[in-house]
Amino acid sequence: MKIKNIFKFLIIAFLTAQLGACVSNEAEQKFDQTPAERLNAREKELNDLLLSSEYGWKAVYFTDNTQLGGFTHLFKFSADGKVAMASDFDSNTSTYNSDYSIEIGSTISLVFTTKNRIHLLSDSNNFPVPGLKGRGYEGDFQFLYYGEENGEIIFKTKRSFEELRFVKATAEDWTDLELNTEMAQNIIGSDKRSLFRLLEINDGTNIHKLDFNYAPRPRFAIANSVEQGYNMSYNMGIAFTKTGIIVSPPVVVNDQKLTEFIYDDSTGSFTATGTNGVSAAIKYTDKPLILTDDYTLLLPGIGNGNNAYAYIHDYTELEGANSALFLSLLNDIEEANGEPLQRAQFWFNNADGTNYVEYRIGSVIYYHYFTLKADDVNKTITFIPDAWKSGRNPKSPTITAPSFLKTLDDEFMNPQGLYFAEIPVVGYRAYTFTSTTTPFRMVAYSFQ
Amino acid sequence: MKIVKQYTMTFLALAAIAFAGCTHEDLPEGSDLDVSNPPQSTLDEWITTNYFNPYNINVQYKWNPNNVDLNTYLYPPEENKVQPALEVIQKIWLDSYQTIAGPDFIKKIAPREIVLVGGISLDLNGVTTLGLAESGQRIILFETDKIDKTDRENVKEFIHTIQHEYIHILNQHKPYDEKSMAKITPSGYTASWFDTSDKDANEQGFITAYAKMNINEDFAEMASVMLINSKDEYEAILAGIQNEDAVAAIRAKEAVVVKYFEKEFGVDFYALRDEAQKNTTAVLNGN
Repeated sequence: MKIKNIFKFLIIAFLTAQLGACVSNEAEQKFDQTPAERLNAREKELNDLLLSSEYGWKAVYFTDNTQLGGFTHLFKFSADGKVAMASDFDSNTSTYNSDYSIEIGSTISLVFTTKNRIHLLSDSNNFPVPGLKGRGYEGDFQFLYYGEENGEIIFKTKRSFEELRFVKATAEDWTDLELNTEMAQNIIGSDKRSLFRLLEINDGTNIHKLDFNYAPRPRFAIANSVEQGYNMSYNMGIAFTKTGIIVSPPVVVNDQKLTEFIYDDSTGSFTATGTNGVSAAIKYTDKPLILTDDYTLLLPGIGNGNNAYAYIHDYTELEGANSALFLSLLNDIEEANGEPLQRAQFWFNNADGTNYVEYRIGSVIYYHYFTLKADDVNKTITFIPDAWKSGRNPKSPTITAPSFLKTLDDEFMNPQGLYFAEIPVVGYRAYTFTSTTTPFRMVAYSFQ
Repeated sequence: MKIVKQYTMTFLALAAIAFAGCTHEDLPEGSDLDVSNPPQSTLDEWITTNYFNPYNINVQYKWNPNNVDLNTYLYPPEENKVQPALEVIQKIWLDSYQTIAGPDFIKKIAPREIVLVGGISLDLNGVTTLGLAESGQRIILFETDKIDKTDRENVKEFIHTIQHEYIHILNQHKPYDEKSMAKITPSGYTASWFDTSDKDANEQGFITAYAKMNINEDFAEMASVMLINSKDEYEAILAGIQNEDAVAAIRAKEAVVVKYFEKEFGVDFYALRDEAQKNTTAVLNGN
């Protein structure tokens, strides 16, 4: 009986389990279509959108607006998987063809699968500042699709999740793209205008002036207030248009977000106008807004030992604060000499009381001795030229000044003097030597 | 016992019904997603003819985000650089092994996929990676855009990567004599190999600086450097080394490599080297 009962119960249990196993397992459908159908529909939706615009799409891509500017790209997609593309990454604004595809992953995304202009932003070996070594311009070329809004396609970049909007391009966008690179020159600044700029903020009642510095390679500007009691700073990535610039993040004044600045060629200024008298303008000024006492570090005195500051080829050279004039002089030296100037290194207050600048080219080193004169009112330093020598010992033989170094050396030995001030850079301590009369500015590595 | 038997039978019958009961489900027909092959370009067809059909090696030159580390900043190769790069690999690597090791050698032991990347793999420390071999299945080659078939050093550097990575794949199939290898220069291995120049590494008994990474890299570097250089070029590298112990160490490693190919695969390594050289010269001459 016992065994019989066990089997009875076993069979009842087994039957119950069986009957229960075939119950309806229809899940409640939240959508009319299956996930695969929805993905397919989404893919078709994006592809149709991409193909729908007669002149293609325009995207101003700010890869990282905490340290880089924006790059305008134009895309014209074709049904055969090809895309024609142009960009204002550099002066080459021609159109090139490559492939694109729409990928299905966790969501639908657009991928540019063979090389074109947009990939210039993802070159680990082409970085605008030393701090971005290995990351280039931090660009992405896979964009996750987030839908359409007011005729714009909304994407988010795969890597950093930045929003990127594709807006419909016009025929003029394609023909006028090269004007962006001309505008780039205007924000860098003309050789004929001062090196010093300010950002003037008008909040409707008061005007504030901020020191403004633009670094061309990363397309990034930093503006800091210098007034007592007004502590503001605006850091902004900059993109070019044919009429001016677009900034990101916006300059916020009285809760108004200013993003579009219009260029005025007569004054060289860029102005963004809001409402109720609010505006922001980037203007030229004759001298720096901030005059520092940093120049006293170069003078003999307590605490100032044997100080050295150097321009270093392939290193400080990459900093945005080097002016176009300085970079062109470096280029002239390399062309005249066949080799780049490796270093221009200043030595102040040597043990024997001398100062000199040491120019290194290949294995040859030239020394130009000088004496110092400081101007405590204008806060400048002047180097008064002395002899050229072949060695760092003052008793070394005097040599003729090398002709290919003259123009650069003349900038250092400017009789009107130089400004000397610390600037923020990544990875080391840096100062600038800036001319008081010409658009010359050199970033120097501080060995102290 | 009878009852037990009866119940057993009933139980089995019920079980049979139960398992048959739920079989009538609608099975999906194929994939709802579009899995058809995209249209093939001339380049795609060339790859099918020269890599996929003869060697069962797939070549990916179009960007697939899943193939590389998302934290590196890389980009796909220029389309017009893809075939020249593949022709170099075909002539110097595939053809050389085919001639010396036999037609089926690479077919049997090969990466199933070659991924071409245009950009340089440069990390935040400034260290450049030329190639990667993943699980013996996939070789990733960087800097495809830089290939220049007229420049010997350029071709050597490019082919160095695939020769090196292929040695790793061979090692994964048949191990080499790790004990002997480890005894030659036991104290020279370091993870910060990039602080040493190639020249200094030579003086320490390593064929390149990267060989100092570990014995596996040492073995792969030793074999690949021999394969990209002619006999004379290789002898010139050794002749330039001052330290005689270092030369002896490199010779000892050379012997481990040569013995490995002979013992495990029956391949004359020196003949393979000479064939690769012949083919390198042919590539440079535009053949």
